[in-house]
Amino acid sequence: MHISEGVLAAPVLLAGAALGLAGTAAGLKKLDYDRIPQVALLAAASFVASFIHVPIGPASVHLVLNGILGVMLGWVAFPAILISLFLQAIMFQFGGLTVLGVTTCNLALPAVLGYYAFGPGIRSSKPRVSAICSFSCGFVAVLLSSLAVAGCLVLTGDSFWAGAKMIVMAHIPVMFIEGFITLGCVRFLKKVKPEMLEVVYGRR
Amino acid sequence: MKLEEFATGSSFIHHLDPRGKVVAAACFSGLVSLTQSLYAALAALALPVMLVALARLDFKRLMTRLAVVNGFILFTWFFIPFTFPGEVIYSIGPLDIHREGVLYACLLTVKSNAIILALIALLGTSPVLDVVHALSHLGVPDKLVHLFFFCFRYLHTIREEYHKLSEALKVRSFRPGTNLHTYRTYAYLVGMLLVRSFHRSQRILEALKCRGFSGRFYILHHYQMKRRDYLFTSCGLVLPCLLVVFLA
Amino acid sequence: MIRLKNICFNYNSRQVLDNVHFRVDPGDRIGLVGPNGSGKTTLCRIIMGLLTPDAGEVEIFGQIRRKENDFAAIRGRIGFLFQDPDDQLFCPTVLEDVAFGPLNQGKSPDEAKRIVQATLARLNLTGFEERFTHKLSGGEKRLVSLATVLSMEPEMLILDEPTTGLDEQTIETLVHLLNGTNLTYIIVSHDKDFLERTTNKTFSIRGGGIAGS
Repeated sequence: MHISEGVLAAPVLLAGAALGLAGTAAGLKKLDYDRIPQVALLAAASFVASFIHVPIGPASVHLVLNGILGVMLGWVAFPAILISLFLQAIMFQFGGLTVLGVTTCNLALPAVLGYYAFGPGIRSSKPRVSAICSFSCGFVAVLLSSLAVAGCLVLTGDSFWAGAKMIVMAHIPVMFIEGFITLGCVRFLKKVKPEMLEVVYGRR
Repeated sequence: MKLEEFATGSSFIHHLDPRGKVVAAACFSGLVSLTQSLYAALAALALPVMLVALARLDFKRLMTRLAVVNGFILFTWFFIPFTFPGEVIYSIGPLDIHREGVLYACLLTVKSNAIILALIALLGTSPVLDVVHALSHLGVPDKLVHLFFFCFRYLHTIREEYHKLSEALKVRSFRPGTNLHTYRTYAYLVGMLLVRSFHRSQRILEALKCRGFSGRFYILHHYQMKRRDYLFTSCGLVLPCLLVVFLA
Repeated sequence: MIRLKNICFNYNSRQVLDNVHFRVDPGDRIGLVGPNGSGKTTLCRIIMGLLTPDAGEVEIFGQIRRKENDFAAIRGRIGFLFQDPDDQLFCPTVLEDVAFGPLNQGKSPDEAKRIVQATLARLNLTGFEERFTHKLSGGEKRLVSLATVLSMEPEMLILDEPTTGLDEQTIETLVHLLNGTNLTYIIVSHDKDFLERTTNKTFSIRGGGIAGS
């Protein structure tokens, strides 16, 4: 989901930065001081988890996990995703400072949408509803994120159309995997620590 | 996953004030990403190359790092030379390679690598905690700064837990493959990591309370900008500006 | 100093503490033993006000404590060492971590720094101020987290399994330190030898009850 530095056009970068800033401000406002350790550790855990390489046929993909983060964090997903991207930028140079806003939006906006669209369904006590919603949440989050990445490229220049299409296509298997992983993850959390799904990380 | 690969060193770059480095890196990234001229981009590339040389970073590890993060740039070479309109210079079957397309792909490659090198040379050469510390002095909201601190601090602990869990999977002869069993196992692994992070964060909060936490964190260490820091930061601000203005 | 009366505590509908009475007087050096899951840590956390008992009365420093605020007032006076030092050390550097408690108690940054230096010197950790907490070894982490507790100048200590994962030398440092103070303390441990050298009373928790021996 990372777009390299130096690729996107200035208006796209600026719009991303502005949106990212607004989202992060909204998230920080909902975040109380005594929730900082919880959110930071969740961000760290998802950072570590995103290095898990899941095999698919002869290749492997790494996890994105923005769907499940969104359900747990709501708007706080913005700062949580931002810090993890910033750490990746300074430690590994995946992404960088100018694309930070864009990438934060690309990942966090679908997360927040998932929170509103699938959160209530996931928390439902009917196993069927919860399963369908959690699969969709993981699936749709990656779908929207890859569409957002593609959109940023296309807005930069028409010559990116081909690449944008390839990116969305390449993420189709990732969508399914994220769907399954989110499904399994929600099931696990519901058994082991159901309150984690009840938006305990920030104010609603 | 090696954290802080280039952070230890004794060069003067390593000893510069992280605030100056953050400002210079941000300014350089911003300006270079705006430029549309290949010459300006090439000239800009010279700066971080110089910095990397001054920082005396391990060449092999640097190249490995660059190779890893150039994946996206490599990907653009598969379509930009064909899709960017311009004069046809070569045809492979039905595909035409355009001169302007090749130049555009070159531009993106040079810009991207200039910025990546600058990030390695400037931000990679300070411990992460120092960089985050610098942010707190540069007006980043303190909630965000403390999220960074906690996140980075416990990244190490959670990574160890992850290694233990994945070793536990291995010794029970788990072999990942393309099947539901694998996905379910990974889902539980992720779930486990999240739950443990949650439990740990509750214990941390309790530990904070035991030490009288009342919603306030403190930063004790303060930086002193030295003359070389002012000099360096101003160079870092002025040089890229000059480059972009005169060569664009 | 501490009196627990008729404490009951259930965890996931399992009764961990059943009508427990427990008392700590000034000068007591108590060892608390018992099988895994018997409620030793639970008892400590009830004393610190991190858990609320389902029934019973907690009296600390002569006052009955019920609400969060009652406990907030005593937490600086009772130093609690967690089982896992990683839970306790959250600041970037040792200096900041050890200073966190004193700063919360209203000390000025300069005073806090002086306290940090004195506390570190007491634990043979002089020169550790600028070390990053996450890069310390297991033993160092334990001693630094003890420093974070001692820097608040508590009147009493509760140490939850302080010797797990420590080498002999670090254990010696601990024994020496504990025998050198006149603090009242409770130590939860499975290490019989360590308890023999540092405590003068032993209580064991078993099957929900507590017994002196």
